[in-house]
Amino acid sequence: MTERGPETSDADTIYVFAVCRDPDPTDVVGLTGVSDDSAVSTLSLGTLTAIVQTVRAADFTDEAWQARLSDQRELERYARAHHDVVSAVAARCPTVPLPMATLYHGERRVREALGEEADRFRAALRRIAHHAEWGVKVYAPPSTRVDRDARDGRDEREGRSDRLERDRRDDPHDPERAPARQVASADRTRPAPGAGLAYLNRKRGAQERRERGQNEALRIAEAVDAEVGGLAKASRRLRPQPQAAGERRVQVLNATYLVAEHRAEELARLTRTLRERTGARIELSGPWVPYSFVGEV
Amino acid sequence: MTGSRVDLDSEKMGRDLVALVLTVVELLRQLMERQAIRRIEQGDLSDEQADEIGTTLMLLDQRMTELCEQHGVRPEDLNLDLGPLGTLLPRD
Repeated sequence: MTERGPETSDADTIYVFAVCRDPDPTDVVGLTGVSDDSAVSTLSLGTLTAIVQTVRAADFTDEAWQARLSDQRELERYARAHHDVVSAVAARCPTVPLPMATLYHGERRVREALGEEADRFRAALRRIAHHAEWGVKVYAPPSTRVDRDARDGRDEREGRSDRLERDRRDDPHDPERAPARQVASADRTRPAPGAGLAYLNRKRGAQERRERGQNEALRIAEAVDAEVGGLAKASRRLRPQPQAAGERRVQVLNATYLVAEHRAEELARLTRTLRERTGARIELSGPWVPYSFVGEV
Repeated sequence: MTGSRVDLDSEKMGRDLVALVLTVVELLRQLMERQAIRRIEQGDLSDEQADEIGTTLMLLDQRMTELCEQHGVRPEDLNLDLGPLGTLLPRD
């Protein structure tokens, strides 16, 4: 880690955490940042202020970052360090967080590069001042029917779950189920007449149920997005996160909202109401530093 | 060093390959099944024809289950995450 190329000069690399307006320099006192060698400090850019820290160039070469990205624990350490500084500053004044590992060679470069984007920062600061980001995740309401299918999946495949099917709706082919049941035990022999038709009808029922469930879940997702979006200044839909292994619930909405500070309580109430009304599992998280709303202006 | 590193384990690769092949076969089977259901809904097929097709698909389904068991592949492994497009096979 201490090996370094001749072109890097140690004292000169500056890590920028965030850009903000009128911070109190004492806000950053005591913050560790991403390095133990120097303190987190402020760097004035005219009307804006950057929150910076001088770091060793050798710790932030491309190679060092590549190594870090594949080491979860190191990555987490840096992400937390970055986030701690950003949140501490954001708690005191409007703050635009910069991406992790934003580095410049020397103060002059910081001023040049961030100065060029001053308009963008100012616009972002105007937008997020007195606002926080809240995450909303909606999971499809658990369907008991689906759960039973999953557990009885094997039985159903072998034609034994006709009782469940009969509960659901009148099936004209129901009397033909009995032969289907014997097929399963008779293994390799050709199933009795009617078994194939009953099988397809079961599958058709499952398909209809799945489509109904999906439509219902999407409808709930749209309704939640519309209602929460109604009290937000801006919103972004993210791709729903895939199901983790062994997890039965399906995420149907993964969105984030920029909400005024004074409407936080209203948002919490709305979430509770939506939960009761839809029966869906709705997770509200926040307030976060509005990372998602400082990018494009 | 950590879980995120790629581990080239030949046995695991073999199993992944089997899972991929079975996924493709299952995809085709489900497509045929949907096509059969659609034709029944449209009234294209006589009961005898529908029964014949249904029996074939049912036997294929059973065979798939057996193959999965033989190769230690779980039914939920038979899927591909296609990113923004969702998953290859529908999930319940």
